[in-house]
Parts: sequence; C-alpha cells; structure tokens
Amino acid sequence: MTLLSIDELSLDLHDGTRLLHGVSLEIAAGETVGLVGESGSGKSLTARSVLGLLPPRAATAGSIRVDGREVLGASRRDLLALRRTSASMVFQDPRTSINPARTIGDHLTESLRVCGGWSARDATRRAVELMESVRLPRPDEHLRQYPHELSGGMLQRVMIAGALTGSPRLLICDEPTAALDVTTQAGIVSVLLEQRETRGMGVLFITHDLNLAAAMCDRVVVLSGGRVEERGLAREVFGNPQAAYTKRLVAATPTLAGAPGGDSVGPAVVVERIQGGSDATGRAGSVAGPPGDRRAEAAPVPPQALLDIRGLSKTYRRSGREAVTAVDDVSLRVERGGALGVVGESGSGKSTLARILVGLEAADAGEVVVDGRARTSLPASRAARLAHARSVQMVFQDPYLSLDPRLSVGRAIEDALHLHSHATSRDARARVLRLLDQVGLEERHADARPRTLSGGQRQRVAIARALAIEPDLLVLDEATSALDVSVQAQVLDLVASIRRHRGLTVLFISHDLAVVRRVCEDTVVMHRGRIVEGGSTAAILAAPQHPYTRRLIESVPRPGWDPAAAGAPLEPAGRGQGV
Amino acid sequence: MTTPTMAVTVLRAPRAARADLTFGLSVGVLGVMVAAAAFAPLIAPYDPDAVDLAAFYSGPSAAHWLGTDALGRDLLSRTIHGARTALLAPLAVVVISTAVGIVLGLIAGWRGGWLDSVLGRLFDVVFAFPSLLLAILAVALFGKGLVAPVIAMSIAYAPFVARLTRSLVVAERSRPYVAAYRVQGFSPPWIATRRVLPNVTPIVGAQSTLNFGYVLAELAALSFLGLGVQAPAADWGAMINEAQAGILGGHFLPALVPAAAVVLAVVAVNVIGEEYSNRIGGGAPA
Repeated sequence: MTLLSIDELSLDLHDGTRLLHGVSLEIAAGETVGLVGESGSGKSLTARSVLGLLPPRAATAGSIRVDGREVLGASRRDLLALRRTSASMVFQDPRTSINPARTIGDHLTESLRVCGGWSARDATRRAVELMESVRLPRPDEHLRQYPHELSGGMLQRVMIAGALTGSPRLLICDEPTAALDVTTQAGIVSVLLEQRETRGMGVLFITHDLNLAAAMCDRVVVLSGGRVEERGLAREVFGNPQAAYTKRLVAATPTLAGAPGGDSVGPAVVVERIQGGSDATGRAGSVAGPPGDRRAEAAPVPPQALLDIRGLSKTYRRSGREAVTAVDDVSLRVERGGALGVVGESGSGKSTLARILVGLEAADAGEVVVDGRARTSLPASRAARLAHARSVQMVFQDPYLSLDPRLSVGRAIEDALHLHSHATSRDARARVLRLLDQVGLEERHADARPRTLSGGQRQRVAIARALAIEPDLLVLDEATSALDVSVQAQVLDLVASIRRHRGLTVLFISHDLAVVRRVCEDTVVMHRGRIVEGGSTAAILAAPQHPYTRRLIESVPRPGWDPAAAGAPLEPAGRGQGV
Repeated sequence: MTTPTMAVTVLRAPRAARADLTFGLSVGVLGVMVAAAAFAPLIAPYDPDAVDLAAFYSGPSAAHWLGTDALGRDLLSRTIHGARTALLAPLAVVVISTAVGIVLGLIAGWRGGWLDSVLGRLFDVVFAFPSLLLAILAVALFGKGLVAPVIAMSIAYAPFVARLTRSLVVAERSRPYVAAYRVQGFSPPWIATRRVLPNVTPIVGAQSTLNFGYVLAELAALSFLGLGVQAPAADWGAMINEAQAGILGGHFLPALVPAAAVVLAVVAVNVIGEEYSNRIGGGAPA
C-alpha cells in the first residue's frame, strides 16, 4: 500500500512567492524514493512539508497523506502523533542538529521516556539496541558521551538511531551524508539500506548527488525550481533521461566510470569523454590520445617541474593537547602546464598543504620551489609578499566567504591589479573587463556586489581575481565543492579552458575523485598527512595500489543495478574537449 | 489552514507597524531637539539668562509658554539652550570613545597574542570603575565644567567599543576573504585598516549610538550634582538641580520640563540606536 502520497503540493510564501508548483510523489513501504535536484529546487521544502515543518505564514495547496492521514491542515496534536510514530527525519549536518549539551543517551531515550512513558531502564535498553542496529561500536559507552566526543559519521548514526526510536514507517533523509567523507558516507548508506530492509520502512531520500541517488534509490523524482522534471525508476531516469534538465544534470555529474574492473575503452579515453560541457571553443568530437600527448599539446616546452615540494612537514602543537602532524614528509612535483590532483578526506592535511604553498602557514621542514624559486618561508617584506603572490594564487572553497562582501567585483579585481602592476585606473578597468570576459562574466557584473551573485558567479570572480596576478601556479582548494553539479561542471570547464589558453599549472585539491579525474592527468592521494599513492589519475582509478585508495574508490556510490561500473552512464561521445 | 502560523500572522503585522511608528516618532523628537540646539538663539523667545525677578515662578502663559523659574528666566528658552550641552557633550563622548575604542579593539583583535591579553586586562580595569565615578574623579582633579567629565566618560566608554570591535575583528580575521587578501600579497596592516575595519565599523557605530543615551543621562546627573555645567548656564541637569527648591513650593514645572527633555532624548536615541543596530546586525556581512 502507499505509505506516503504527495498530491499536487504547492506552497506559497506569505509574500506570494511560489516555491513548489504541484509536486506529486508516492512511496510504498519498503521502497526508497530519491528526491533529486540542485539547491533551491524545493526538495528539502517538499520533504519538510511531510512532517508539517512549513515556513512561517506559508500557504499550501494539494494534499500530503502519510499512511492515509492528511498532513496539511492537520491539528498540532495530529502532527505530533505523526512525528512520534509514523514518520521521522534525518537531517544533513548531525553536528548542528543535535543538542551539544546533552549526552547521546539523553538524546536517544528522551522521546521514549517523555512521549512513550517508558521507564528509564527500558528506554536505555532500547537505546542500546538501536545503537547496535546502526552499528555503533560501543553503545554502552556512547550513552554517557557527548556529541563532541563522536566523529561526524558516528554522530549521524546516532541521529539515525534517534529517528528510529519511534519505529517510524517512513524515514525522511535530507542529504544525510552531504557533510561526511565518502568512506563514512558508504557506511551510513549501508546502515540506511539495512534498516529499510529489516523494518520495511519507506524512505524518502533527498540528495543532490546523482551517483548516490542511483546507488540508494528504487525510484527517483527530479525536481527543479519547485517542479517535477522527471520521475521513474532510477535506472531509467539516469540511464536514459528524457527531460532536458535531467540530461544536463546527468551530463554534468562527474563519475568514476570504468574505474575498477576495467573498461574496454581505456581509462585515458574515458577521461577525455567525461571532460564534457558546453564550451564553445571545445574541439567537439575529438578524442585525444593518452595523457602525455595532451600535455605536449598544452605546453610545447619540454616538461620541467614548475612546482617542486620536497619533504614538507607541518605539525600543530598546542599546549595541553596532543601534537597533530597535518603534513608529514610530503614530496611532489608538478610539471609546467600540468594539473595535479590532491585527493583526501577531511583531516588528510590537503588544505594545510595548500595554505603552506600560498604562504599562509609556515612549514616545519622541507622546501617548496616554484619555477626555480624558493617559496618555503612566510613572506615578510613587501617585495617577498608580492613575489610569492605572483608565484602562487589560490581559489578558496567557499565563494560565499572568500570575497569581501563590501567591495564590488570590479573593485576586488582592480585592487589586485593595482597592487601588482601599478596600472592606471583606465587601464585597470579595461583589464578587469577582459578578465571577467575570460571567466564568462559580463561588464555589468563588474559593479555587482558579491551578495547579488550566484555561487558559480562568485567562484568565477575568485578565479578572475587570482588570474589578475598572473601566477605561475593556481591552487584550487575544494573550489567546486560548495557548488551545484551543473555549476561545478561549468567551473571545471572554465579551469580546463584557462589551462589550455594560458598554459597555467594547476594544483587541484579535492575530496572528490570523480571531480579530480575530470581536471587532472595526475593525482596523489593523501591520508593522515602522508601521500600514500601517486601517479596518473587513470591508473590510480583503474588499479589502486594502496589499501586506502582502494577503500576510497570503493566508497564512491555506484548504481545498484550495475555494481561493477561506478557512477551514472555517460552521454555518448561528441562532447569531448581537450585539457 | 488551522496551523499556528495563522495566529502568528495576526500578531506580527501590527507589531511591525508599531515599531515603525515608534522609530518615526523617535527620529522626529531627536530631529526637533537637534534643530533646537543648532538654532537656539533664533528659536528661543527670550535670552535664557535674562532674569526677570518680577515674574518668578509664573505659570504657563502666552508670554512664557512653559512659565518661568525661580529667577523669572523663561523656561522654554532655557530648555532650548540646554539642548546644546545636553546633546553636544554626549556626542563628543560617543565620538571620542568610538574612535579610541575602534583603534584599540582593532589592534587587540588583529594582533592577538600578548598585546590582546594586555589590552584585555586594561579594559577590565576600566570596566571596574563606574563611568560616573570616573567623571566625578576627573572633576575632583581638574575642576568643574564639562571638559574633564567628557574626557573621563570617553575613557570609561572606550572599552565597551573596543571589546565589541575586538570580537568582530577576531571573527572577521578568520574569514577566507582575509586569507584571500593575504594570498594576493596585501600587507596585513593594509588589510586590517582598509578592508576589515570598514566591514566592522557599521556594527560598532550602531552599538555606539546606544551609548549616547547612557552618556546623556549620566552627564545630566553630573550637572544635577553640581559638578558638570555650572550655573547660570542653561543645562538640563543643572536646571533640575536649581529647581529642587521650587518643587517643595509646588512649582514643579521648572524641574519637570528639563527632566522630561532628558527622558525623551534618552528614549529617542535608544530607540533609534536599537533599530539601527538591528538593521545592521541583521544583515551581518555575508
């Protein structure tokens, strides 16, 4: 029978803005339905409406039925009953959705004792059971622990256990793994699948990650701008998308296609094929040879190391705490015009490495040489600062925070130009417009403040600002992880085209193997401050040597219908584009 | 829909309208006071110090709208002239304390380390003294008048501003845009003064506006104690002081009018400052 049925749900804010335009979906018991879409598509709003969590003063129309009972317009008492017994929710970031001042035991037993009238002993026993069922290692110990003592992955398991206390028939998961590392994500996903099986729950799974949706869901509903673009079996929607929007989304999603188990096409060619997008200057249809050839194309000069890092180490020592070695004897080389991916999970030291490179942190040992010049020490004098800046520039992770909120885009870039070239105002303005044009922005954006721009536009500004200094090396530190997939694809294409046109050397730091393979010929894998494996990206993906790399690659979600191939299928050739 | 959101709708709208009305009224009151202070000689019907012993304690009349005080001086004229010291002195305190506080707060927040600790303890020491006590101490040391108390109060209020500035600068310093400036090669002092400072000053300024009301009331209290503005100069605090004797004789207006002016000014400034800081604070740098 149908567990959840949403019928023509529409939602207006009090100011008349319509956020949902007739969304419909159904979930049967034991089924996982994915709600897929980019930010602002209304997927979280739809899910929250199921529990009656509406924005203040919102007006709704249509109907939401859970177990046959209407939710919209239900009384407070009925909503409470619904949330206690029928449906519950797991939120995105476990750190912010748990009370930090209460123990895990309190969190798990509270609703049983308060709402269910359980005795403390029964509730505790039940909490331990639940923790065992989500595979938390030491339930008895966790009872007395506080949220800050647990890792993000463990905490999300606690949140899942908490959501299961009322034995709900419907579990709503709102991006439950978006804040977690990929290996942690794999564990959470398996727990969710297992619980769905044993309890016969219906699961509404919200995600922006198509690969994850393909791995988790039986059916998917693709949302965009509050409208359902496409619906159907996950395999059909992702394998053979019909709606134009879904096609774009599938094309934009980076994948690990053909990684383990081999692919008859050969990894290098696959890399070429994925480096798609809608770049007008792209050489459509061309499938280039192995990576070496392409490098030769990009930089005719014989390869020489532009970036040479030798034995770099950095240890953080704080009084009263254990010393943390963030970067441990790291050595790597990047050729002129090359692109090296640095892959690792949170805490692997990849961001510290970036901060040392750009001169924000001092290394304890080792040296950094950029284009034959030592760039190890923190720049002290004005001349050293400027020289360091011209050697290395960086694009930061969060474009919402890395631009000065007060300055217009043009002003931000002009600042950099004035500092480095003593350009006249008119000259600088012309160069600003040229730079904006290069990153795909227009003249009108020059006078815009960051807050009026989208995330993708802001990241383009950040890239233009870095390019204004004309650095030898561009470090991109998780530069696309805060962006939607389609925007991410555009920014990655932009980076590729800049490399092609300027022969820029790129160090691309990311947690996402699929993204790295789209940009970089070579990759190193970092784990606990050390480089555990390095080599050509394709080779690492095809035949990972280090156990950690293997675990990393295996953790990337892949469609349930095809366990051998990772990621969603690609569009046919014809979108090829050299790097 | 019968969800509680409906009830909230009904409650919220009038509250917003009322807040707007209060804010508008406050701006009006302060505007009138500032105009009165600026154009006092033109507006005031009489010389504030003109003594008319024939007409002491005359009640409100066509000639004297608010009546006269014990010496027959026109109360309205004195209240209008009193607005000058009442508004100017707190303004001076707010400007000086904000300037000093921002500089110290920026240094403490940006440099951190031992300098931050030293300044922090220094602020704690100043916090330990009530501002009025510091002002009285200054008067005792440097003599009566407004200059000494204004400087003393500026010192007393600077740590409030400095502490706020420091916390904002510390938060701002860790934002990626500051790191981005450093990576571009800008010098740390340039980033601190030219980029971080302008991003925190609106919030600090809004908070400083709130200090204005407190300072106004405290300076009036100082004059009332006879330690601030000296007779015969027209000042609200001093006027209340002089009118004390009249209250027992049933002549309450000479004390009530300046007292009401103090209350109105403090409330108006606080409402404006509150609203201003809400608007700024709500839109914290994004």
